[in-house]
Amino acid sequence: MIEYLMDSAYYKSIPYLYEGMKLTLYITIVGLFLGFILGAFAGLGRLSKYSIIRAISTVYVEVTRGTPILAQVLFIYYGLTVVNIGELTSAIIAITINAGAYIAEIVRGAVHSIDRGQHEAGRSVGLTEKQTMRYIIWPQAFKRMIPPLGNQFIISLKDTSLFSVIAVAEVLYMGKQYYNATFEIFETLIMVCVFYLIITIPTSIILRRVERKLDV
Amino acid sequence: MITVKDLHKSFGDNEVLKGIDAKVDEQEVVCVIGPSGSGKSTFLRCLNLLEDITAGEVTIDGDVITDPKVNINEIRSQVGMVFQHFNLFPHKTVIENITLGPVKVKKISEEEAKEAALPLLDKVGLGDKADAYPDSLSGGQKQRVAIARSLAMEPKVMLFDEPTSALDPELVGDVLQVMKDLAEEGMTMVVVTHEMGFAKEVGDRVLFMDEGIVMEEGDPNQIFDDPQNPRTQEFLSKIL
Repeated sequence: MIEYLMDSAYYKSIPYLYEGMKLTLYITIVGLFLGFILGAFAGLGRLSKYSIIRAISTVYVEVTRGTPILAQVLFIYYGLTVVNIGELTSAIIAITINAGAYIAEIVRGAVHSIDRGQHEAGRSVGLTEKQTMRYIIWPQAFKRMIPPLGNQFIISLKDTSLFSVIAVAEVLYMGKQYYNATFEIFETLIMVCVFYLIITIPTSIILRRVERKLDV
Repeated sequence: MITVKDLHKSFGDNEVLKGIDAKVDEQEVVCVIGPSGSGKSTFLRCLNLLEDITAGEVTIDGDVITDPKVNINEIRSQVGMVFQHFNLFPHKTVIENITLGPVKVKKISEEEAKEAALPLLDKVGLGDKADAYPDSLSGGQKQRVAIARSLAMEPKVMLFDEPTSALDPELVGDVLQVMKDLAEEGMTMVVVTHEMGFAKEVGDRVLFMDEGIVMEEGDPNQIFDDPQNPRTQEFLSKIL
């Protein structure tokens, strides 16, 4: 039994998948970081008092959420061939734009959920609109964003598997390469899933703890 | 100190304030009473522009605050506001709640702000709560912190929007006592309240509002003991 496991894809694919997982995590983390910045702007943009900013943010969010990420990445990869940015950059841009739209909704919801009285109290001691946002609304809203952001991390992590279509060497792509050579399709895919679960299950557990601690 | 001329406020088609004229002198305590929906809270909120004013003119200490050129933040920093639901900042300690305004608006140092805040906390009877978070305080304590937070900006006027309405009855007394002390020190105050005892004892003048206008105003004893307007009579007969 042990000999069988050691001699099959269950064991032998691990180094390849490990390499793939590093790239998966890299794309996810960089993409989510940039996506958070984009999403924060878009989310606050949707609450802006200027209708033009609201309109731009809304169009971005709705178009992105309304189209599949696979179409988005193909669009970025092939559609932007004029500038030939390569598959890794395309993948990061795709995650940034896609996650950014969902994060925009997370940011909007969290900021919106802060009691109006907080804003009024800030303004009534003389803080400007910006100061009120920075010192009073945002810190409270950010706490409420953490659980849904963790959720978005898990979603985006899994979304990166779609980038195998543009030959990004992430974990699913590495798995495919492996089983194309060895024909151990079933075993390799099991291991690919295990690699995802190694990241997602602990993330869920940590999130639940954080949620309890933050009391949100 | 405050002059209000023909103040109108509409929310969409709904006209809430239909022409209010009022005057508050320096060191005067004016209590605003009236049934719910009468516009008394809206009136108060117009005095520090938490609501934009539809028409009319409000002057505070010589500044026409309804002038669009006026620096709204500076005006607000000179007008303290105490809310029904306290609106303390839950992510900050009691002392941080109080020092935030002075540090960010008046640009004084943290230490200086702290030094100024501690006596204020003592004054509202919460000297030992400086490092507590609002969640650990009772409603009455929260409201007293909120009063200290407003006072830290050294306002010329204090506005109170039903400051005791959200409190358990046994906690009301402490808050009213703090307000009474303030009044005795000569603070100019406008108090929207349902505490008729407070209005009678501490108020220099009472405004009775109904349907968006000031129906009757006068000395508290006259309003409570000998109301002239039938609406005032009706309102007082229901609550006293």
